[in-house]
Amino acid sequence: MNFAGWTNFPALMEFGKIGFVNMLAFRLRYYTGILTYFINVTVYYFIWRAIYASDPGFADLSFEEMLTYVSVAWIIRSLYFNNIDVQISQEIIEGKITTALLKPIDLQAATLARVLGESIFRLVMLTIPSAFILFAVYRLRLPANLLAFAQFSLALLASILLVGAINFIVGGFAVKMKSILGLLRAKFYVMDLLSGLIVPISIFPAPFRELSEFLPFQHIVYTPLMLYLGKLSGTEAWTALGVTWVWVLALIVSGSIFWNSMTKHMTIHGG
Amino acid sequence: MPSVVEVENLVKDFRTFDRREGVWGAIQDLYSRQYRNFRAVDNVSFTIGQGEMVGYIGPNGAGKSTSIKMLTGILVPSSGRIVANGYCPWRERTRYTRTIGVVFGQRTQLWWDIGVVESFRLLQKIYEISQAEYDHRLAKFDEVLELKRYLHTPVRKLSLGERMRCDVAAALLHNPPLLFLDEPTIGLDIVAKESIRTFLKEVNREYGTTMLLTTHDLSDIEELCHRLMIIDHGKVLYDGGLPELKRMLWRESALKVDLRDRDQAALLAAFSMPGVAVERADELSYRLRFRREEVQPAELIRRIVNEVQVLDLTMEEQPIEEVVRRIYTGEALHDDAHASPEGARP
Repeated sequence: MNFAGWTNFPALMEFGKIGFVNMLAFRLRYYTGILTYFINVTVYYFIWRAIYASDPGFADLSFEEMLTYVSVAWIIRSLYFNNIDVQISQEIIEGKITTALLKPIDLQAATLARVLGESIFRLVMLTIPSAFILFAVYRLRLPANLLAFAQFSLALLASILLVGAINFIVGGFAVKMKSILGLLRAKFYVMDLLSGLIVPISIFPAPFRELSEFLPFQHIVYTPLMLYLGKLSGTEAWTALGVTWVWVLALIVSGSIFWNSMTKHMTIHGG
Repeated sequence: MPSVVEVENLVKDFRTFDRREGVWGAIQDLYSRQYRNFRAVDNVSFTIGQGEMVGYIGPNGAGKSTSIKMLTGILVPSSGRIVANGYCPWRERTRYTRTIGVVFGQRTQLWWDIGVVESFRLLQKIYEISQAEYDHRLAKFDEVLELKRYLHTPVRKLSLGERMRCDVAAALLHNPPLLFLDEPTIGLDIVAKESIRTFLKEVNREYGTTMLLTTHDLSDIEELCHRLMIIDHGKVLYDGGLPELKRMLWRESALKVDLRDRDQAALLAAFSMPGVAVERADELSYRLRFRREEVQPAELIRRIVNEVQVLDLTMEEQPIEEVVRRIYTGEALHDDAHASPEGARP
């Protein structure tokens, strides 16, 4: 792994600022974003109410916990979400990636810095307002305790980096592919499902649950939510956090190796 | 003169696949593809010394941009060796890019969605340029390029001329000893071209920056480069000075003669000398075409002045474009085997 481009913190800060400032341009997106999250949660509210009405012992979570799970899941989605996979693949396909390649800075480091900058913006403009509205409308649970909230926050930071690192790798496949739209779509739905955003991992069929244990996706939503609800506590909680952060490191290191090998195959067409 | 760039037997092959025609062809392509190798750069070798300004020219698709991409480290050659500023461009890219500047005429190296000055500040951080140095250099660049007027505009809103000035300034902000320019004046008006040329000349003089530039505008070469390389079909056809190239290929020149009156015109029409063709341009002026290797211009002028009463004499030089057109179309150089630097100097 090449650290030459990782140590220039002032430059990375600057990339973070760009990530933040660029979000300003899409004002309409976060007004509609808040509305979308509200509608989503409302739909899930009625679905889960119907399910719990017919079978109250349906899952390991009570109805109130399930509603909290779904709401907080959508609230944190507004924080960790980014589409740098789309951006990077476009830059590769259009050849604009040369701008980044000709600078003495690591593209992955710069991208993750941008992601963090964007997430800070999302936190203020999307996540906190959505949380206020949803907590006002529905009876949702607060975090189990202060420690659980601290652990939840650490897990959230990891979610942002996990999604950033995964998207970086997925976007990088554009070097090898003529059309990347299919892969981007597939990743989008796989991530929503396997992260536990749509339903908690615990109610997946057993084979799915076991598979999910070996994948990084469940640490994006499911693990933070289990910490929030206090379903993981003590050593279990710290282990889950440790595993999450090992995934973050593993994905960043493999992303870096992957990207360096991809740049060797890059063909930039035209002028 | 220490060498800054050393290129040895550089080769780049691209593998493309030929699409078969029609629907049935498309179905066949799904199962078996017919690949074809295309050699974009074919065994190119050269060295560039410190402070040299080298023009790299050739028709579209000759392999110029491919060469530049390999020299800047964003494309990996199929074989061959490059050492630039002491680095292997594609293997030590991160460290190497710190020591070079790159300008692509067709593609900005600035960040598209932020203001020019934000791009510059980002570059300042990336290259770790001290504030004093940054201010000094920006003020200096402003003198020639007049950057201040659009420093706060986002790059996507700049005109082409403004964008190019910013791109050139951005590429030189960290004072790299080596600068690559791929068609830096493409699509620019005469004022913008002039301003960029003046700027490049000044930078070269002041900092001894080595520059390699590709262009289709030959006046770029005439104004900037002491040396040019002509490349076609991936091969270097010529490497040497511009005057030497002219001497080698300008086989024909013309002398325009303006005369006092019709009697003199009649006299000149009858003029004859081996290797000289007389052509009437209009009523009182004639054009005498002659082959350089047969006729000494001084001798020709002496005889004309002796035989006719002349109002004015003008030597008409063949424009450089004409010379280059002949190279590109294969009328010259291709059949002279491969003109090496030695061969180029008579």
